[in-house]
Amino acid sequence: MYDTVIEVLARSALVSVSATLVAALAGISLGTALALARVSDSRAVIALVNTGMALPTVVVGLVVAMLLWRSGPLGGLGLIYTIPGMVIAQALIVTPLVTGITMAALRQLPRSLPDQLRTLGANRLQMVLRLWLEARVALLAAAMAGFGLAISEVGAVTVVGGNIHGHTQVMTTAIVENVSRGEFGVAIIYGSILLGLAFLINGLLASVQRRAAAWERN
Amino acid sequence: MGAQLRVDGVRHYRGGHEVLHVDSLDIHDGEQVCVLGPNGAGKTTLLRLLAAAERPHTGRVSVDGTDIEHGGIALRRRAAYATQRPGLLSTSVARNVTLPLAWRKVPRKRRRDLADDALRLLGVAHLADRQAAGLSGGEQQRVNLARALAIDPDVLLLDEPAASLDAESRLSFLHDLGRALTGRTTTVVHVSHRADDALRLADRAIALVDGNVWQDDTADAVIRRPADANVAALVGYDNLLDAHVRTDGEVTVRGEHTGLPWHGEPGPVVVAAFATGVCVGSSASAGVPARVERVVPGPGYRTVVLEGNPPLLASIPLRAPAPSAGQHVRISFDPDLSRVLPRSVATHRGPAPAPAPSPRVPAHAATASGT
Repeated sequence: MYDTVIEVLARSALVSVSATLVAALAGISLGTALALARVSDSRAVIALVNTGMALPTVVVGLVVAMLLWRSGPLGGLGLIYTIPGMVIAQALIVTPLVTGITMAALRQLPRSLPDQLRTLGANRLQMVLRLWLEARVALLAAAMAGFGLAISEVGAVTVVGGNIHGHTQVMTTAIVENVSRGEFGVAIIYGSILLGLAFLINGLLASVQRRAAAWERN
Repeated sequence: MGAQLRVDGVRHYRGGHEVLHVDSLDIHDGEQVCVLGPNGAGKTTLLRLLAAAERPHTGRVSVDGTDIEHGGIALRRRAAYATQRPGLLSTSVARNVTLPLAWRKVPRKRRRDLADDALRLLGVAHLADRQAAGLSGGEQQRVNLARALAIDPDVLLLDEPAASLDAESRLSFLHDLGRALTGRTTTVVHVSHRADDALRLADRAIALVDGNVWQDDTADAVIRRPADANVAALVGYDNLLDAHVRTDGEVTVRGEHTGLPWHGEPGPVVVAAFATGVCVGSSASAGVPARVERVVPGPGYRTVVLEGNPPLLASIPLRAPAPSAGQHVRISFDPDLSRVLPRSVATHRGPAPAPAPSPRVPAHAATASGT
């Protein structure tokens, strides 16, 4: 039992942290591109990103599963019922959230800042890195929110991962399975550990956020 | 080292409206130029084009003969652009100043030395380790300017850096800015809506109205001999009165002779007069009839507000007897402090009519208005 819990816990952390990292990379890049292109002011773009932030996770799982299914267009990759497949599904769920927060964070910066950085001599990469530094607290908040969404998500990982014991079972799918079997005690243990994991990782990110806010003081 | 700036056949639009229309403008290597203009005149647009922050919709902007569109980052790094809002980054003052140096690959040790020198020059070296966000408006502007000067740019573009400062901080800031620029060969373009900035910092002043170059002359000449009523308002003439030139050449205001000279065609003109150039006499004296609305005390003088739309202003020394509200008086114009001008040079662009020589303009009169 103990070994199983540790294994499921480690798998959950692996899937959610990986998905958050992928989504942070994609979402921050996309949000930055939209903000710099000034299309982030467009109501249509804002509505699209907001819709993405509220995507039903089971629907995302269904679409990803259909794509990864053996007879699907990406079936040859053999990712259905695998951890990478689950990471892809969760990353797709988290990316719009990170994109939306990034876009909003960069829109909060002075509108003239990108131009100002360019006139100070920054090239495009230096300008983008500086904008991220200016919005660093909000960007870390985006990562924290993304991780929170990934670690608590159950729909997509069930559909794409299949909740296979010793292979793709994660904390949320283990809780659902134990509840369905009437084993509430085990489900509560899994739930408590999941809460602990979420608290630990968010605490870590909050600490990084505090340090980031104070960074560059000298 | 400075740089030669050239604007050639530039038209620039915003929201479908033309905001800048400059056929030809040359700013020479090492020249210090002030661009004067009211809000919305296109001053900042011109500066942004020179800074390569924007590309003109038509025409060409070049630095030392290289088109800014093709100069790339190397060309942009020859200029420093200090914006109206300091826009300091959320880091320390020192880091704000060293960052553009780091982007130019200046060695770390040298960066800090250059930053310290620039901060010292602007009197804010003691703030180097403070967070930029915690500085006052005046301190932020000084750091903003230090950041621009630290890179020792060939071209320094200043967008009303003192506009948001209170009167005392502004004077001190402009004094330090003038001192910081002394001895440099940097080409400076300073945008302002205040004439006293032009006098203080520039060799040459360009009046920009509605996106067009209205007048381009020495700073002193633009203030003493404005091309038309628009420029007169810009450089701080307190009074602009509708006037008429009769066929015999007499300039009249409200049908009364002014005795002011005019060498152009008969027709409608404007009399521009500093408040110190309007003399208030008794109703029995010669001059234009007027009625006193009120008398406002000022430092060292009184301002007599005379009825009209807009009201006419006259400054009288404290020792002179002040008229009372409602009193009928007659006013005359000191030819040294008053000009007869065309209403607008827009209708006949080209050299303005030859003005009469003007031996002096009191500094306080020239700085009295921020029009």
